Amino acid sequence: MNPDNFLYLSIILFAIGLIGIISRKNLFVIYMSIELMLSSVNLVLATFSRVHSEHDGAVIALLMIAVIAAEAAIFLALIVYLYKNTKTIDSEAFTQLSHKRGAK
Amino acid sequence: MQNLLSLIIFLPISAVVLMGLFQVSLKVLRVISLATSVLVFLLVSYLGLNFDPLQSMQFVEVLPWIESYGINYFVGVDAISYILLFLVSLFIPMLFVFIWDEDRKGFFYNLLLLQTGVMGTLLSLDLILFYLFWEMMLLPIFIMIGAYGYGLRQANAMKIIMMTVLGSMTMLFSILYLGYLFFEDNGFWSFSLFGLSSMSFSSDISIILAAGFLLAFSIKIPLVGFHTWMAPAYSSAPTPALVILSAIMAKLGIYGLWRFGFTLFEGPLSYYAPLTITLSIVGILFYAIHAIMEKDLKRMFAFSSASHLSLITLGLFSINIYSWSGSLYLVATHAISSAGIFLLIGMIGKRIKSIKISDLGGIATVAPKFAFFFAFFALSIAGIPGTGGFVAELLIIMGAFKYSFWVGVFAATTMISAILFIFWMLQRTIYGKVSQKVADGFYELSRVELLLLLPLMLLLVLTGIFPSFFISFFEPTLGMMLFQIGDIS
Amino acid sequence: MSTLLLLVVFLPFLSALVLGLTYLFDTHKRVNEKFYTILGVAVPILVTILSFVIVLDLMSHSSTTVVTAVAFNWLSIDSFHIDLAFVADPLSAVMISFITFIGTLIHIYAAAYMSSDQGFGKFFSYFNLFLGSMLLLVLASNPIIMFIGWELVGLVSYLLIGFYNKEYENVTAANKAFIVNRVGDFGFIIGLGILFVAMGDNGFTFADIKENIYAIDNHTLTLVGIFLFIGAMGKSAQIPLYVWLPDAMAGPTPVSALIHAATMVTAGVYMVARFSFLYNEIPQVGEFIAIIGVSSALFAAIIASYQSDIKKILAYSTMSQLGYMFVAVGLGAYSAGIFHVFTHAFFKALLFMGAGAVIIALHHEQNIFKMGSLKKALPLVYITMFIATLAISGIPPFAGFFSKDAILNHAFMSEHYTIWVLGVITAFLTAFYMFRMLFIVFVADMKNNHIEHKALSKALTYPLIVLAIGATFAGFLGANEAYGGSDLFKSFISLNDINYSISHSTEYMLGFVNVLVSLLGVTLAYKYFRTSPQEPLPNKRVRTLIINKFYVDELYDRLFVQNLRSLSNFFNKTVDEKLIDGFINNVVHLNLYVASKFTSLQNGKIQHYSIYLLSGVSMMSLLLIYILEVR
Repeated sequence: MNPDNFLYLSIILFAIGLIGIISRKNLFVIYMSIELMLSSVNLVLATFSRVHSEHDGAVIALLMIAVIAAEAAIFLALIVYLYKNTKTIDSEAFTQLSHKRGAK
Repeated sequence: MQNLLSLIIFLPISAVVLMGLFQVSLKVLRVISLATSVLVFLLVSYLGLNFDPLQSMQFVEVLPWIESYGINYFVGVDAISYILLFLVSLFIPMLFVFIWDEDRKGFFYNLLLLQTGVMGTLLSLDLILFYLFWEMMLLPIFIMIGAYGYGLRQANAMKIIMMTVLGSMTMLFSILYLGYLFFEDNGFWSFSLFGLSSMSFSSDISIILAAGFLLAFSIKIPLVGFHTWMAPAYSSAPTPALVILSAIMAKLGIYGLWRFGFTLFEGPLSYYAPLTITLSIVGILFYAIHAIMEKDLKRMFAFSSASHLSLITLGLFSINIYSWSGSLYLVATHAISSAGIFLLIGMIGKRIKSIKISDLGGIATVAPKFAFFFAFFALSIAGIPGTGGFVAELLIIMGAFKYSFWVGVFAATTMISAILFIFWMLQRTIYGKVSQKVADGFYELSRVELLLLLPLMLLLVLTGIFPSFFISFFEPTLGMMLFQIGDIS
Repeated sequence: MSTLLLLVVFLPFLSALVLGLTYLFDTHKRVNEKFYTILGVAVPILVTILSFVIVLDLMSHSSTTVVTAVAFNWLSIDSFHIDLAFVADPLSAVMISFITFIGTLIHIYAAAYMSSDQGFGKFFSYFNLFLGSMLLLVLASNPIIMFIGWELVGLVSYLLIGFYNKEYENVTAANKAFIVNRVGDFGFIIGLGILFVAMGDNGFTFADIKENIYAIDNHTLTLVGIFLFIGAMGKSAQIPLYVWLPDAMAGPTPVSALIHAATMVTAGVYMVARFSFLYNEIPQVGEFIAIIGVSSALFAAIIASYQSDIKKILAYSTMSQLGYMFVAVGLGAYSAGIFHVFTHAFFKALLFMGAGAVIIALHHEQNIFKMGSLKKALPLVYITMFIATLAISGIPPFAGFFSKDAILNHAFMSEHYTIWVLGVITAFLTAFYMFRMLFIVFVADMKNNHIEHKALSKALTYPLIVLAIGATFAGFLGANEAYGGSDLFKSFISLNDINYSISHSTEYMLGFVNVLVSLLGVTLAYKYFRTSPQEPLPNKRVRTLIINKFYVDELYDRLFVQNLRSLSNFFNKTVDEKLIDGFINNVVHLNLYVASKFTSLQNGKIQHYSIYLLSGVSMMSLLLIYILEVR
């Protein structure tokens, strides 16, 4: 099978994830977009591992899946915590790091 | 006395530490500070008696410090540093006497710290050690201006620190890179002055490295263009800081050029000579003209100092025995003159709480002795014959003529430049009608004040009448240095 | 003999020190004036005796003998040895003898003139200091020590002009004197510098320079000559550096007599004579000196004819006479120049002291048009002043005739006819304005009779008599063959004169012309000012110009003083604040501005951050791929 197709797929996934991050304001959606991008990277790693017939890429992809799982736990917990405190999961609401202190 | 130099350097700072630990009262503080500085003065005098003018570096002490980088505690004294050493050790006790009534303890602590810093700067022969003391000097000055000064004291303290630190940074870069070059050549580290000076490196690099040193020293001197910290800092500084700033710190820039500049970079410095000489010439006239319309005595004499330091720099870069002797002589005599004049300005401030020229007038009528001393020190800055300044200026001018005709002509403008403002200033301060403020609060010199000024005056007169006696003290050293530079004329 | 020479220089310094310290630390004014008088006058007398001994000793030997004395090594660097050493050769011996002699008389005069002044002690301290400095200048064996004396006399002159320092104007005059002198010294030291480089390792005493003068090329010598002469211009009040001398009259009158007439101002002439071996090599510079001299002489004479302040008239006449001296030394008649210095010292000191006596008698009135018919009130002053006026006007057999005649003859014989003609015109003007002053003050009717005369003490008048004798007979010392003398003065001081042979008939002819024009001047003065003189009013354009001294002071003020002050303000307000600090401040402001732009990017929105991230990463990737070509 042509590896290019896998790469095209991963680019599409990455682009979808990126657009999701930039355009959506719901923290959950942003989170899912991030997951999508990570998956696309995993796909690239696996593909190149196959192309070069080495196992390094596949190993890293596996490793990343584990890390992503751990991250998911923390991320979801954080979102729930934020919702508890502020009753919103709109990303625009969290601008405390702006140079204008306290700006909404 | 094996560790004489270390004793001289660390006596003041150990006094500070001890007195700080025991939280001594003001009275004890005064006495111990004065005693310490007098002791240091005695030690320095003892050093002078055992000093051999025909040898260059003496009383050398080397102790390993950070061995992996070849940084040593390496100190020694030669004629050039001894002159400044002597003057510092003379001025500090005088300043303690001057601020005897002061009830802010910080003055005493800071002056002692400053003394260690200055002495260390003068005596260290290891570049890292030198840098350390060089920076250490700044701190007490910063505190004294920032905490005890006048006017916009904090801003002005910031200004002096920012500009001098800028210079220090470039110098630090040069020092570190020099050490690295040494490491590349020899496979081991060293920051010793003599180790580094034996190294030969390409002229492109050395010109850049020399610029690092030159910038640090030009800001300290200050040459034209690097001087905007000067007048604000001087006008904000309390008298002790002022005396140290003008009489010692500015001269340390010259000293640095001499000790490190000409030992490490004789080639590149002659490359920069046209530039620095031009800056000096501009400086002599620029500062003098600048001083004419100054309304405040401190600022006026700040510019006067800078004008003379430009002349000294000119002599330094003319690189021959006459101009060098003259420069070193002027370093010493101008230090004495400006210490005197700034002490007197401090006394005016004590009396009428103002140093504005417009508030003064007719001092000669109210306090003739004061007026006499004031006129004497002011005129000694202008280089009247009979004071050391005259001899020094004469030698610099002669040396400048040896260097080139036009440089000589411009060096000779110093004959006119200083008198442009000094005489008009004298006319408005000590002569003329007695002003209101002077009539109200001015009083004659007290005995203690007289005692402070007399030794300075005596030194100036002696240096003016018997210059050969003093010059023979340092001429061999300068001759040797010039011989090494290989441009003896 | 050399010990005596050392004493001659050091005694005045020593007594100045003692007097000064006594005055300064005698806060309660317990020390009597007598102490100051005795010490202050005794030392000049002693020094005078010593210098006469030295002169007599020199006269008893051949002309090449000199007395030398080395005090100590002053400066020694490399091959540059300067000893504090003194040489009394005939030239300097003559100088010191009349300096000390006239100095002593003026000291005595001053003791009376300054009595009951608050700063009596200070005055004598300065006066002795001046005497010492002047002797140092004259006796120095090398130019460096000479320069020290040169500077010191300028300094003391500053102190003495500003002696009444409560008046702001006096101090201004003092400042002017010192600053203008320093401008001259600036030239002087440039000359020394060039000479120093040219001499190399051959030593730097006058004797060394004389020996090695042939090794130096003419171009260098020309420069040296011109720059040294600039120094002389300042000290001896020649165009363009003369402006300080008239103002210097703000000092007490004895000061004007000693410093600004008899001694210090002649230092420039002495210096040129001292360097006669140098100036002989460069006749073109000599001509320049003579031109400056004659123009100063004429210029000052014109101004003097319209002045109404008695001391200012004398000041301008001093400048005019100094011009004659420079004509002489410029054209190579060094001994004639020094001879005029010598005779001039007598009659000019006399004129000033007489003027001082008049001023004292009239309670410090200096305007001659407020004086008149003092002949009866002050007969002694009148007679002595009359003698001095005759002397300065060049009427034989008084001293001035012989010296002025020698100078003008030399100008004529060396074929500098323009200089000669101008010199003769000046002689005419001199006679005119001097007799104008004399007639107005002593002969003409007084307009306001109510001035009471103050009695004059003996110390004020006796020195006048001594000087009057000098002004009458001093000329015979230098009378040449034609006038029955034997050129005593010239053969004694034996300088490297350029000599022209001159027939007696020409000599008489020239002398006759001089006397004729002088008498013409006297007659003119007699006609206009004998009876009821009018103060000149600035009612015509030319007259206004002259009364206002050609507006040179105003010109200098505008040109130098104002410009320097505005330049200083410009440096302060513009260069420092706007340019240099402005540059630094602008760097700071630029940083703040850029920073503010960047901070607006940081708005706390996660989406924006991710775009930055993305663009950064993409740019880095593109960089890697296309520029660094990582494939």
